[in-house]
Amino acid sequence: MRQRAMWSAVLVVGLALAGCGSASDSGKSTSSDGKLVVWDWKSGEPFAKSYLDKAKADFKKKHADVEVEFVAQPFDQYYTLLGAAIQSGKGPDVMMFNGGGQIRDRVDALVPITDYVAEDKQRLAGWDAFTKDGKVYGGPVTLQGYPIYYNKEIYRKAGLDPASPATTWDKFVADCAAIAKASSKCFALGNKEGVGIQFWMSSLGSTTLTAQEYDAWIAGKRDWNSPNVKRIFQTWKEAGDKKMNTDGANSTAMFNDSFAAFQSGKAAHVMGLMSDVGHWKSFNEFLTAEKLGVMKAPVVTAGTTPSLPYDGGIGYAVAKWTKDPKVAADLVRSLTSADALKAFYADAGAIAADITIDVSQAGPAASTIVAELKTGKPALHVALSSKTIDLMGRLSQQLLSGSITVDEVVKQLAASDQAG
Amino acid sequence: MPIGNTQPSVRLASAGRAGGPAATSPARRGGTRPRRTRGGLGAERYAPYILIAPAVLIIVALRLYPLILGVNFSFTGDGDQNGEAVGFGNYQELFADPLFRTALGNVGLLVLLLPVAVAIPGLLATFIFLRVPGHRFYRSVYFFPAVLSPVIVGAIFNLLLAFDGPLNAVLGSIGVGPVDWLGDPDVAMFMVVGVHIWATFGMALVVFLAGFATLDAALLDAARVDGASLRQVVWHVIIPSLARTIQFVFVTTMIGMLTSMFGLLFVMTSGGPEGSTYLPEYYIWIQQGQMNRPALASAASTILFAIMLVVGMLQIKLLERSGKVD
Repeated sequence: MRQRAMWSAVLVVGLALAGCGSASDSGKSTSSDGKLVVWDWKSGEPFAKSYLDKAKADFKKKHADVEVEFVAQPFDQYYTLLGAAIQSGKGPDVMMFNGGGQIRDRVDALVPITDYVAEDKQRLAGWDAFTKDGKVYGGPVTLQGYPIYYNKEIYRKAGLDPASPATTWDKFVADCAAIAKASSKCFALGNKEGVGIQFWMSSLGSTTLTAQEYDAWIAGKRDWNSPNVKRIFQTWKEAGDKKMNTDGANSTAMFNDSFAAFQSGKAAHVMGLMSDVGHWKSFNEFLTAEKLGVMKAPVVTAGTTPSLPYDGGIGYAVAKWTKDPKVAADLVRSLTSADALKAFYADAGAIAADITIDVSQAGPAASTIVAELKTGKPALHVALSSKTIDLMGRLSQQLLSGSITVDEVVKQLAASDQAG
Repeated sequence: MPIGNTQPSVRLASAGRAGGPAATSPARRGGTRPRRTRGGLGAERYAPYILIAPAVLIIVALRLYPLILGVNFSFTGDGDQNGEAVGFGNYQELFADPLFRTALGNVGLLVLLLPVAVAIPGLLATFIFLRVPGHRFYRSVYFFPAVLSPVIVGAIFNLLLAFDGPLNAVLGSIGVGPVDWLGDPDVAMFMVVGVHIWATFGMALVVFLAGFATLDAALLDAARVDGASLRQVVWHVIIPSLARTIQFVFVTTMIGMLTSMFGLLFVMTSGGPEGSTYLPEYYIWIQQGQMNRPALASAASTILFAIMLVVGMLQIKLLERSGKVD
């Protein structure tokens, strides 16, 4: 009897320990014994294989004795899992981040790698999204931007010249009326997640705000009462009121129902992405490269010059609890090496952070985008905090349904922006 | 039980739970006890504590301790203030956040819709019990959605309720304008609750059918002989006889509504449009995962816990009362 009790006790304790072990195993930092653990949401995908192979080979040259383990996490749980790891102070040595708010909100848990990556500063673009208070926290892998794609076939049907899309907002609205007559919608819009307004703000930002306002916005000095800032929300509302968007925008998912609507020719324009999804590669497949165009933002405020809004898309950062930040930073450098990024561009269909990569094989749309990178500026919405972005999503839905005024929207956003 | 009055109450409880004649027999043969050695008595005294120790330890270590940690964590700050005590700051922020108030309001809405969620399976079970034509077929069909995962149900209804989806096409063919079922803030919450009821009423239906099985057929026959109409039979015979079953279904449906809507919400509306379909659970998930505000999420969790505690207490009260009726 006593023996049985003892064995049960051993079993219970054993199970309890095993349970703890398995729960925290993947989060354990194991850098001490010559191993780096990397968390991301890409390494599990088949297209990432050659990218990872190239990056690992590059890292092997520098640190042959350090083993690297990639742990692919599901993207929709990624920041939840990472948050738990950060909270416990134990986690991966190197981790993937979206540029902008996601990494800036978590710099407490990261090591600045400014000095380690100094050599890559010129070759790569998109550093701003991984920088906070002048310190670089991550190396960019892809660039994410918000070009306006259009369907040349629909332009032809509507009697418009596909080679010269509208350059002013008024002309653009008139073109949309012509497109409506040809029974297509002007914009494929999915705003179920409230993401549509982010793309709108950034795509039209360079031609709505003056250059000074734009730079001040990115620098954190945002004047929400400026008439031009209000204009961003007014054009958004105007597009809704004039039925320029696909129907039921507030219940349509941007990923990927609105992109599907554009691909299937239901709408003439879409504010899409440069990398990952809703981008030139997937549109090329459905519309073919000849029919797909990329246009500059139409000028809303006279005297402005359109520029492509883009930032670092995804990148890798180094955790502050890693044993040797130099080694981990070298891994980040390998993950952003020219060869690795070339593989990423080719297989994943992304505009890689290395702007020296030749994209002429990828069709005219990709070439147009890359040509505009030189004059591009950081996207407006990326500068906002996640909290303000979330609020803006809900307010944009209210603007579309007509239950709020532009003035009220700007007031609420100003309050949220100043608080955060 | 006058015997054992002087003994620790824990022991009584454990003996009572073990139940049966075996557990009470040592007490009856109390005369043999004094002959045992002191050591044996001691072991017997501690035995119940040792026996329940694993269960208690597991509950304390894996349930209560994390719960206390979570409550404690909700009084600390986020970001720069990580680890610092902020008093009721998080709670003040929560109640100042219109989104959280919407989420609480939606919990209230769920409670209001509860009678509907119970009445539907109750009514359908009544029809099956009264053997309407095709009742066998309906019995299996009604249960079918209960085996589907909320994600699949959500995806199916996303397609059906899409603005250019089949439901609006049918409405359009009879001349009714399209409705943005999941895009209109006044409609969306009702759609999600409706789909949740559709997906889960099969379980309640089975419980109701089980209740009907215990119904005294003589009462029904008597009512029919007395010339009672269908409505009178349902109101005066079936409902009173099924009081306990109905209460049980109320309790389980309430729990289901408060705890398992996340999947549907996530797939169907993501809390939108305009934040109109937020529930506390979804709010907690957003704050922790997307906004990087774990302490604020803890505060919201604590409030949700308090709500569940109140609901749970009410349930226990209800069940106790119905127990006394018997």
